[in-house]
Amino acid sequence: MSHEVDENAVRVEAVESLLVEKGIVDASLVDEVIEHYETSVGPLNGAKVVARAWTDPAYRERLLAEATGAVAEFGFGGPEGQLIVAVENAPEVHNVVVCTLCSCYPWPVLGLPPSWYKSPEYRSRMVAQPRTVLEEMGLELGADVRIRVWDSSAEARYLVLPERPPDTGHLDAEALAKLVTRDSMIGVGLALSADAAEDD
Amino acid sequence: MPALHDMGGNTEFFGPIVPEPNEPVFHSRWEGRVFGISGFLLALFGQNIDAFRYEMEQLPRDDYLSNYYRRWLAAFEAKLVRAGYLGPQEIDARVQGGRVELGTRRVSRLRLAVTARVQRLLLRPTLPPRVCKHVLPRVIGTARPALRSRRFSVGDRIRVRSRRDSGHTRQPGYVSGKAGLVTAHHGATLFPDAHAIGRRARPQHLYTVAFDGEELWGADAEEGTEVRVDLFEAYLEPG
Repeated sequence: MSHEVDENAVRVEAVESLLVEKGIVDASLVDEVIEHYETSVGPLNGAKVVARAWTDPAYRERLLAEATGAVAEFGFGGPEGQLIVAVENAPEVHNVVVCTLCSCYPWPVLGLPPSWYKSPEYRSRMVAQPRTVLEEMGLELGADVRIRVWDSSAEARYLVLPERPPDTGHLDAEALAKLVTRDSMIGVGLALSADAAEDD
Repeated sequence: MPALHDMGGNTEFFGPIVPEPNEPVFHSRWEGRVFGISGFLLALFGQNIDAFRYEMEQLPRDDYLSNYYRRWLAAFEAKLVRAGYLGPQEIDARVQGGRVELGTRRVSRLRLAVTARVQRLLLRPTLPPRVCKHVLPRVIGTARPALRSRRFSVGDRIRVRSRRDSGHTRQPGYVSGKAGLVTAHHGATLFPDAHAIGRRARPQHLYTVAFDGEELWGADAEEGTEVRVDLFEAYLEPG
C-alpha cells in the first residue's frame, strides 16, 4: 500500500512540475485551493442552511422553491452548486442522495464527498437496495416510510432537509446547526438529538 | 455489457459500504495537489466537465477503479498528451529519467494570470449573494435558453428509450426501457452526450423522472422505494 501511495505522490509531483514549467499551473494557487476546501467549505455550510430552514418558515419556503438562491443568501455558491435542489424529509417520506454515474455532490453546502459516497458499493447499491443500505449505515426506517432515492445524473445537486429533532423548541439556529450532520444532509442519517447540542 | 461507470444496480459491485470515521478531506498531499491542479486544467480545456467525465469513463478498468483522484489524474494526462502539452512519455521520463519527445505547447503568462485570478476570486468562505445566485450558475452551469418548447410536463407518464448510446451519456442503464412519471422540469441545458465530444447540439430540456422500485427491479425491489433521476428529453418517449 505505501509503495502505491508513494508512486502516486511521485507521479503527481512530476505532472505538477511539468505543468508549472509549461505555464499551465500556478503552484501557489494550488496551495490556496487545497486550504480553501480543507477549511472553508464543508457540511457546516449546509448545517447553517438547514438550521435556518427549521427556524424561519419563510426561508424554508424559499429553500424548497429555489435552493440555489436560498443558499446564496448565506454567500455559498460555486463549483458543483450551479443548481441546488433541497428535498425535505417528512414522517412518511425519507430522501437520500447518490450519483450512480460519477460522484456528483453539492460542494458549496457539503464540501467534497466522503470516500464511501464515491465507492462502487454505494453507487451500485443505493438505487437498488436503499432500505438495506440505510440499515447497514445505521438508519432503520419503518416499513411505512417511503424511501425516495435521488440519483443526481445531470445539472441538479441535491441537499436533503432533514426533520428537526423533537424537543428542540428552546434552541436557536446556532445551537440547532450543531445537530445537523453531513450524513443527515445526504440522507444516510438523521439529525442528532437535542442532548448533542447541550453536550457541546 | 454495461459500461463500468454505469454502476446503478450492477450486482458486481454489491458489497459493504465502509465509512471512515473522521475522514480527512484529502488522504494524502498528492490527492489535494490533483484537486488543486484540476481547476487550471478544466479552464485550459474549456470548462467542459462532460468531456472530462467521458475521458474518465474510457480509462482502463483498473485505472478507473483505483482511486478517485488517480482517476482524475489519468484522465487529465490523456487530455494533455492528446492536446500536445505533454509528450506521450514525458511524465514517465520526469519520474524515471531519460530523454523523450517533449510536448511543445505552452500557455501564455497572461492566460495563466487570468485563470489564477478568476479562481482566486472564488476562494473566499462566502461570496456576495448576487454572485452566487446569478453570476456563478451562468459561468459554471450549462443552462441555456431552450430553442424549442418542451415535449413533456409535470405529471406526464414517460418511458426511457431502451437504446443507450455507447459514447458519453447521462442515461443510466438501469432506467433504460423503464416507465416513470415526470415530477419536475429544470429548463434546458447543454446536452452532455454531444458536449462531451464537442458536437454542437440544441440545448435539451431536462426533467426529473420518478420510477417505482418495482418497475426498476421487479421482484427484487424493496417495498416502498422509488428512484428519481434527472433525464434529458432525448432519452424520453411518451409512456
